[in-house]
Amino acid sequence: MNLGPVLAGRRVVVVCGAGGVGKTTVSAALALGLAAEGRRVAVVTIDPARRLATALGMAGLSDEPRRVDPAAARDAGLDMRGELWALQLDPKATFDRLVTRYAPSPEARDRILANRIYRHFSGTVAGAQEYMAVERLHELVDEERFECVVLDTPPAQNALDFLDAPERMGRFIEGKGLRLLLAPQTKAGRLGWKALHAGSSMVLSLLERLTGGQLLRDVSEFLQSFDGMYAGFRDRAAAVRTLLLSEEARFLVVTGPEPEPVAEAVMLWDHLAHDRYPVAAVVVNRVHPLPPEGDPDPAALAAALTAAGAGDGAHLAGAALESLQDARTVGRRDHDDVAEIRRTLDDPPLATVPALPDDPVELAGLARVTRELVTA
Amino acid sequence: MTGPPLLDRRLCFVLGKGGVGKSTVAAALGLLGARAGRRTLLVEVAARRRLSRLFAGAAIGADRPTELAPGLFGLSIEAERAMEEYLDMQLKVRPLVDLLVKSRAFHSFAAAAPGLPELVTLGKIWELATHVEDGRPVWDVLVVDLPATGHGIALLEVAGRVHELAASGPIREQSAKIAEVVGHPAATGIAVVARPEELAVTEATEAVAALREKGLPAAVAVMNGVCARRFTPEDVPVLEAALAATPDGAAATAVRAALAHAHRERREQGQSAQLAEGVDLPVVELPELITARMDLDGVGILAGALGASPAVAPAGTRVAG
Repeated sequence: MNLGPVLAGRRVVVVCGAGGVGKTTVSAALALGLAAEGRRVAVVTIDPARRLATALGMAGLSDEPRRVDPAAARDAGLDMRGELWALQLDPKATFDRLVTRYAPSPEARDRILANRIYRHFSGTVAGAQEYMAVERLHELVDEERFECVVLDTPPAQNALDFLDAPERMGRFIEGKGLRLLLAPQTKAGRLGWKALHAGSSMVLSLLERLTGGQLLRDVSEFLQSFDGMYAGFRDRAAAVRTLLLSEEARFLVVTGPEPEPVAEAVMLWDHLAHDRYPVAAVVVNRVHPLPPEGDPDPAALAAALTAAGAGDGAHLAGAALESLQDARTVGRRDHDDVAEIRRTLDDPPLATVPALPDDPVELAGLARVTRELVTA
Repeated sequence: MTGPPLLDRRLCFVLGKGGVGKSTVAAALGLLGARAGRRTLLVEVAARRRLSRLFAGAAIGADRPTELAPGLFGLSIEAERAMEEYLDMQLKVRPLVDLLVKSRAFHSFAAAAPGLPELVTLGKIWELATHVEDGRPVWDVLVVDLPATGHGIALLEVAGRVHELAASGPIREQSAKIAEVVGHPAATGIAVVARPEELAVTEATEAVAALREKGLPAAVAVMNGVCARRFTPEDVPVLEAALAATPDGAAATAVRAALAHAHRERREQGQSAQLAEGVDLPVVELPELITARMDLDGVGILAGALGASPAVAPAGTRVAG
């Protein structure tokens, strides 16, 4: 099916699914298609294959969008009426920039950036990468430079982690309970200290016993250094959520035709629908086509291959027939899996992308996927 | 870095990009360990439930190991539960543990102390690997199905990081002990899994480089899902000529399938060479199984293929592949 109408006029397209199903390829191909139709599109990718990054004109990690050469898109057979921009997410850089923006003072900023805990873990902490993807999405939409932003969601334990990321990050930054305990000198701290005093000194001493005083101090210093930034993060998280729940957004669920990703896709779809996110369509990637019915006569095939120059026509015919058999098994399996998704999700809008010999890492290959998704 | 065969190390971790078949490879390694007579524990983290599905729905428990096959047990580790067990062990007084677990301050600390869930998870794995009863280790081998590459490496390196961060206290000592075991090639081996696809090969190569840099013992690379070797390069022009002579009908369909397979074989050989060169480790190739579904029989076939590799099979148990 053609996803063009489903996505027409949307400002945000979120592409989600299990790891390894080809989310990045689908995101890039979709963005290419929307740009070809005349829109100014940015695609936010996470860890693309190097050759794909190169094809999109991204040299290394670059948090800033770069424009894909329209001539290159034309060479790949796409008439580019709009603009395609691509960027690769750099979680650490985004986190640093965020701290820089929301820190109440240059001193506070430097304190955070220099904190040992921050430096060790800002790449991995509390879903930082997931949060940064959402954060960068919001920035790009806010800037209004682009008519549409396509977001390739990060690989996560759970494909929906990134939706909860703003909230988790908010809770983390807030770190109220511990700050109250560890900063009794502040006004809020004094009140909190009083209120919590009974059990809390015990809790604190237990924590200290386990972690050693210094780690506890480092963590508390880390949390305290975020003081005054919480409101900024919280407002951001709320704005992102509003955007993602709005009519301006559309979610696509990508899956491969194997039982695990399909099960995950079904879960994802239900979860998104339940939480009222505008989930629009399923994309089944890398579907092996079923070969046409009818097996050739082995003897005739062997004769044809011998005539074509085979040393051992019968042997080669046997190998060819085995390959045909394999292609049928795989084609039937994929066909059944697609049918299973249709049945389970009550016939959702669904696009399939045929398995290509190689994952598309050049614009020409990407354009083939684009044609399946947007112009088919 | 060299070391004993993978399954002669007490701790085997299975790492790889999402979708390459990590859980299947982990299950096959576990089965191979059990077949070789080792008491083997297959561990999944973060409740992924994939192993349960492979073993015909046997519910892998979080509280005690579940027997999946003769000599093979499964256990699921969840960070929250591991945290309580850790506190139990440390504080030894249940009311204190309850006090801590119920306090808001503790949850703030747990959420803010980066890497804590990873540390208690790895700590639990370490504890299982070093657990001794009646003078002998309870498990000969643990096979751990890690989360996808980035998260998996974060888990493996967490003990070393926490050791650097904590200046004193039991956490510092414990993380040092864990880091020592996880970093020692006689005790620990990491199998990095790829598929014959560009992205998976690149990610495996980068993962091995990252492991080396962090001093973590990458032991073997596994190329999963390799297609059957059926055609020689000389077959290709013959098939093309046959297709040109008869471009329609059932014969052409078979010849097209043959050509597609032949091209895939050649591409995969290139990717295997790239992997071998990139990781500089023994590479074990596992066949693609053309069945409707991966099941226990399939896992058994892969276990056999792994058992043919001297880099994997326990000493003295290698079977002809």
